[in-house]
Amino acid sequence: MPVTKVLTAGIGEVDLRGIDAYRQRGGYKQWERAVREMQPVDVLNLAEKSALRGRGGAGFPTGRKWSFLPKDKHPRYLVCNCDEAEPGTFKDHMLLEETPHQVIEGMLIGAYAIASHHAFIYIRGEFRRGYEIFCAALEEAKRAGYVGKNIFGSGFDLELTVHRGAGAYICGEETALLNSLEGRRGEPRLKPPFPAVEGLYGMPTVVNNVETLAYLVPILERGAQWFAAVGTERSKGYKIVSVSGHVRNPGNYEIALGTTIRELIEIAGGLRPERKLMAVQPGGGSSACVFEEQLDLPYDYESLAKAGSMVGSGAMVVFDDTTDFVKAAYNLARFFAHESCGQCTPCREGGDWIARVLNRLVNYRGVPGDIQMLSRVSSGITGLNLCPLGDSIEPFLKSVMVRFPDQFESRILAPQAQPA
Amino acid sequence: MTQREKNFPALLERLTPECQRIIVQYEQRRSALLPMMHLFQEHEGYCSAEAMDAVARMLDLTNAEVEATVSFYTLLYRRPVGKYMLQVCRGLACSINGAEDIMAYFRESLGIGHLETTDDGVFSYEEVECLAACDRASCMQVNLDFVYSLTPHAIDEMLASMRSGTYSTPPMAQIEAPGRTWAISQESDIARGEKSSGAIGVPLPNNAGGVGDRSGIIMLDHIIEHDVEFFTKTSERAVVDSRAVVEISQEEGSHASH
Repeated sequence: MPVTKVLTAGIGEVDLRGIDAYRQRGGYKQWERAVREMQPVDVLNLAEKSALRGRGGAGFPTGRKWSFLPKDKHPRYLVCNCDEAEPGTFKDHMLLEETPHQVIEGMLIGAYAIASHHAFIYIRGEFRRGYEIFCAALEEAKRAGYVGKNIFGSGFDLELTVHRGAGAYICGEETALLNSLEGRRGEPRLKPPFPAVEGLYGMPTVVNNVETLAYLVPILERGAQWFAAVGTERSKGYKIVSVSGHVRNPGNYEIALGTTIRELIEIAGGLRPERKLMAVQPGGGSSACVFEEQLDLPYDYESLAKAGSMVGSGAMVVFDDTTDFVKAAYNLARFFAHESCGQCTPCREGGDWIARVLNRLVNYRGVPGDIQMLSRVSSGITGLNLCPLGDSIEPFLKSVMVRFPDQFESRILAPQAQPA
Repeated sequence: MTQREKNFPALLERLTPECQRIIVQYEQRRSALLPMMHLFQEHEGYCSAEAMDAVARMLDLTNAEVEATVSFYTLLYRRPVGKYMLQVCRGLACSINGAEDIMAYFRESLGIGHLETTDDGVFSYEEVECLAACDRASCMQVNLDFVYSLTPHAIDEMLASMRSGTYSTPPMAQIEAPGRTWAISQESDIARGEKSSGAIGVPLPNNAGGVGDRSGIIMLDHIIEHDVEFFTKTSERAVVDSRAVVEISQEEGSHASH
């Protein structure tokens, strides 16, 4: 299956940052149509029919998420999650910098669907350039009357506020993001209550990923059927996959869900000459690896889940035979230990222990029992935390420890070499 | 009073209208905390105590609430940093594409390590988590501007143009000379196993002077065994503690005789 350009159409060919370039390609027509011709519930039904699922990581059906909002509690908020920081993911970064108006239009449509009059976008602190580009685009949209009071004379008001983060992976978790947006430490909240019931400022809130919201524009334009026509049984539509690591042409590729992993690697130019594939991490730093014999797996939510991994944020990292998997495991474990907010003991302490033991192995100073300790501690973290960060440590580590036991065992010091 | 402290009231007055514009964007004032700290950092180069204090007053918060929040975020610096903040990606996709060599090259060229600043105050260096530009590995940010596909040659040119002041990204505000390190981080101590990660900054219970050293015996041992220079406060404490040791041992002795 080839690459299909929907959200990525025009990127790299023309400059889509200005409002005129965006309007020339039909930009803001769907926003106008939504406000003039549709009721919020029509947009919600359309999203539900399209079977669009969250593109940020959890893959929750977008229409269902919106329908959880209590009917009588106002105001309600839409928050666009642009705190992209999952290792290997770089799609929202691209959408933000290359097609900011598409992101704005998606946010406006999403806010309209849930009858919200104030939408926020939380932009990762490191994306300062993206933040500036987005703010400039928003100014243009405001001047054109797409954002603000009485939009298209319909009486519908919608404010959009841009909020910059300040460096914290955990703020990509929706409740941590809300705390950060409220000017607090980015620590996840206990759920329930879910944000749909008690979110920003204690009011009903929907947090959606950048890509999820952006897909609302083509779904409105071409219809729910068009989107639901591609994909597999329970994974409909298109997805941007960030392919990186040991491939010849790393980049963002937009594909129909269900394209196989093998095809994705080919789309990204295949491996470098004379190299052999060892593993593929299909869904970001939190996902387990799949291996050579699984390359014909369709890249969709249910197939990857069945194989013990996940689509996650759509970050596919390819590893060839030059990879040191002990180092790779240490790299990710150190990342999660560094980014743990510290609220839950299993994640805070466990992550650090795992990173410490792996560091020992990387330096060929492992002691007998280290490998068993890694399994015990990592499985002991999973399922015991407020948010999924702690649970993200085990999958990659476990999958490569089972697959490449020699790489790990060769790092254990022989008994006579142990320090006294 | 430093020059920066003297100038702060004027800066505050200048930035107050901008702060008000930020505050009215939100239903609750507290939401303005991060954007306001970004603003002050842009002008002072870091989040000074005065800035945090001013933000606390404008948002009706305590200083502790502001500092607790600021300390959570890695892009808000609580100490002065170099004019060029060099943040090299150590994420997985970069590291399997040569980032380790790039980081080693930086450390060697600059003569400093992770979270350190050069003595001339020009460069601060940090190894950061995945920057979401994995298709153009190895990548980095200079004062939050992206630089892609790094090579040793490109690094040489970059550092030279920064030293001569011709680099495309402007230097950051620096109105106070930075120290050698800017981050309040004990990562290296944790890696060496000398501190508990659970309470960063708190020594292990049984270290000299730690909470498990109530009688000060470990501290005394430390003084006897190591030829260390102590600050006045520490030696005072050693004297107080040595009295306590005598008292405790006398008490124990009297208990034993009964």
